[in-house]
Amino acid sequence: MTSRARAGFITLFLLPATTLYALFVVIPVVQAFAFSLYRWRGISANRTFIGLENFRQLLHDPLVWRALSHNLLLFVGTSVVILALSLALAHAVGAESPLARFLRAVYLFPQVISLVVVAILWMFILNPSFGILNATLKAVGLEEWAITWLGNRSTTLASIGVAHAWHALGFYIMLFAAALRIIPPDVMEAATLDGAVGLTRLRMVTLPMLWAVLRIALVYMAIGTMNIFSLVFLMTQGGPDRATEVMLTYLYEQAFKHSEFGYATALAVVNFVLVMALSGAILALFRHDPQEGRG
Amino acid sequence: MNEGMKAGRIMLIVTMLVAVAGVLVSCAKRSTTSAGKELEVACFKGGYGLDFFEQCAREYEQQHPGVKIKVWGNPRVWEQLRPRFVAGNPPDLTYPGWGMDHWALVYEGQVIPLDEYLDTPPYGKKEGKWRDTFEPSLLELCRYQGKTYMLPYFFSMLGWWYNKDLFEKNGWKPPRTWSELLALCEKIKAKGIAPITYQGIYPAYAVSGFLIPWVISAGGIEAFDNAQNLVPGAWKSPAFLKAAQMIDELRRRGYFQEGANGMDHTGAQMEFISGRAAMIPCGTWLHSEMRNVLPSNFRMGFFLPPVLDDGKGDPTAVGIGIEPWMVPTKGKNRELAIDFYKYMTSLEKAKQFVEQKGTLMSIRGSDQANFPEYLKEPVDVFRRAKTVWSVEYRQWYPKLGKEVEDATQALLAGNLTPQQFVERLERAAEATRQDKTIPKHTYTRGQAR
Repeated sequence: MTSRARAGFITLFLLPATTLYALFVVIPVVQAFAFSLYRWRGISANRTFIGLENFRQLLHDPLVWRALSHNLLLFVGTSVVILALSLALAHAVGAESPLARFLRAVYLFPQVISLVVVAILWMFILNPSFGILNATLKAVGLEEWAITWLGNRSTTLASIGVAHAWHALGFYIMLFAAALRIIPPDVMEAATLDGAVGLTRLRMVTLPMLWAVLRIALVYMAIGTMNIFSLVFLMTQGGPDRATEVMLTYLYEQAFKHSEFGYATALAVVNFVLVMALSGAILALFRHDPQEGRG
Repeated sequence: MNEGMKAGRIMLIVTMLVAVAGVLVSCAKRSTTSAGKELEVACFKGGYGLDFFEQCAREYEQQHPGVKIKVWGNPRVWEQLRPRFVAGNPPDLTYPGWGMDHWALVYEGQVIPLDEYLDTPPYGKKEGKWRDTFEPSLLELCRYQGKTYMLPYFFSMLGWWYNKDLFEKNGWKPPRTWSELLALCEKIKAKGIAPITYQGIYPAYAVSGFLIPWVISAGGIEAFDNAQNLVPGAWKSPAFLKAAQMIDELRRRGYFQEGANGMDHTGAQMEFISGRAAMIPCGTWLHSEMRNVLPSNFRMGFFLPPVLDDGKGDPTAVGIGIEPWMVPTKGKNRELAIDFYKYMTSLEKAKQFVEQKGTLMSIRGSDQANFPEYLKEPVDVFRRAKTVWSVEYRQWYPKLGKEVEDATQALLAGNLTPQQFVERLERAAEATRQDKTIPKHTYTRGQAR
């Protein structure tokens, strides 16, 4: 095959996917950038070009900053919890015991449940009247701990973080369990022979060997928490009094409740850039793979 | 491969993409042009379903051979209608539901003023005015700058519900005044039952169930009308402060159910139905909303929020809410849409709606229908009412509405003092007043009903 024919052949195969991607991803994204420069109610074709006004307003909108801080808090909080738990559980599911077999059977359940169901489930668990959490707390004599988890501004965000982590955990267990299997057994044996066991082995051998996966996991976590919407929308509506407002619930409010589609689109653009920047920062920060340069 | 070939290949890909896009767009266009006497009616599918509207459509088709009416809808129909309006291809008649920003449709000229049609005879009549068949206080809510852009269908009343069996068993009576309320709450609390619960995650219920009724009781209906009309200082008037203090007092005395601030509407309403809470603020839709979980022997009663013993306001004042219908400017069959809606609002159909769906209707005389048991009290309350109010600022100024609701949530949680609360409301009202991009409304109260 000549190189020209070959190129045509490849193009032919690339075309359907590229077309669909362009139509449904690239063009809308480009359009979004354009809409963010207008004042637009999103209900007729009328719109007024206002340049960067939406972005200027956004910088001075305290609620944007508050929402963003909630996203970042959720990212930091849940990624620590998820990393610790998923690493531990990834080890556990790799073992050979009845418990490990049980864990293997159930650890992906939360991940495959629809987010709507997850939200309802956690609303039941946290329900102040008949929820299992407060009932348990009362049963063990911790009555003063049995509070309104979702109606109290100091506990709502954490409650949502717990529900989010519970839902996301299975995915990361899967990721790390697979990565653990790839570590050559002889490396582990050698480490054991050298006396590296327990936490030392985790720190000196396992974690460095998992570096590339850890980095990707953190990027996924950043994307997941920056784009969190359904759980917040269903569990608290961003309340009480904005205590759980996040970027996308605020975006939804601006678009559908306030008919500020131009402003909402500007928020979407900013969120897009922030997710990219955060992911980039994580990749840069964890660029140095400790496995490399050891020789 | 040289650079020229690379560029050529990219050009080829781009050309093909454009061609494919063109084909898709032209397909989309072709499928939307359909002529003939066809009417598209897009409806919000709420607790009352679509079946009644569909039934009306079939009857109308029978009476008008050649007419085809397509009724469709779902619980989030407003999200689908937005792009249709933007594309200039809206349905002929629509009931877009509570999630639609109705006034934005008006500002953008997407729905027509209906006054010229309201002055024509009602369905099947030679004389009289269609306008006069509507409850006038409801039609008033549909006006902007002197024109009527929307039409009501059914309406809801706002008030409090009580658990009848629980009350009868204990010899309690629904409280009419603030002092009766405080005395009763103490008795209920002593029984280990929460006196009042509320839908904390959606604070709109607390606003229309506690705040506004007590503003009206403390300062008269003007106190609320002024606030809606953004009169400077109205949102921090003594009436608002008094109402906030009343909410705060109930909270401090522990008369609200613990945890209600974190409950959604179904959660709080379940607390009421299960007997763990004795009273709840809610609209007349409560029964149909909860019918799937309602025990068949559960009896609930409706009453107006208790008023101040020496209140300035009319103690019969009742809050109502409508979910309007409208005729899109770019609909293809305007006359037919109007005539079909005239049919739907004829007295006969209105009475049927009342009987089948168990709600009140905006058509005069429809209250002569056979109401279900749980609607008899609300109907009596409405007949006695000398003043009718409606939370309009929430639709007119969504940002102000949101801020009032957030502040109410904070007040109920004890995070704001009543004084801080009213100051926050006034700040939000001031921001709305100053914002030149927000079109302003004025509500002029008509003659006493």
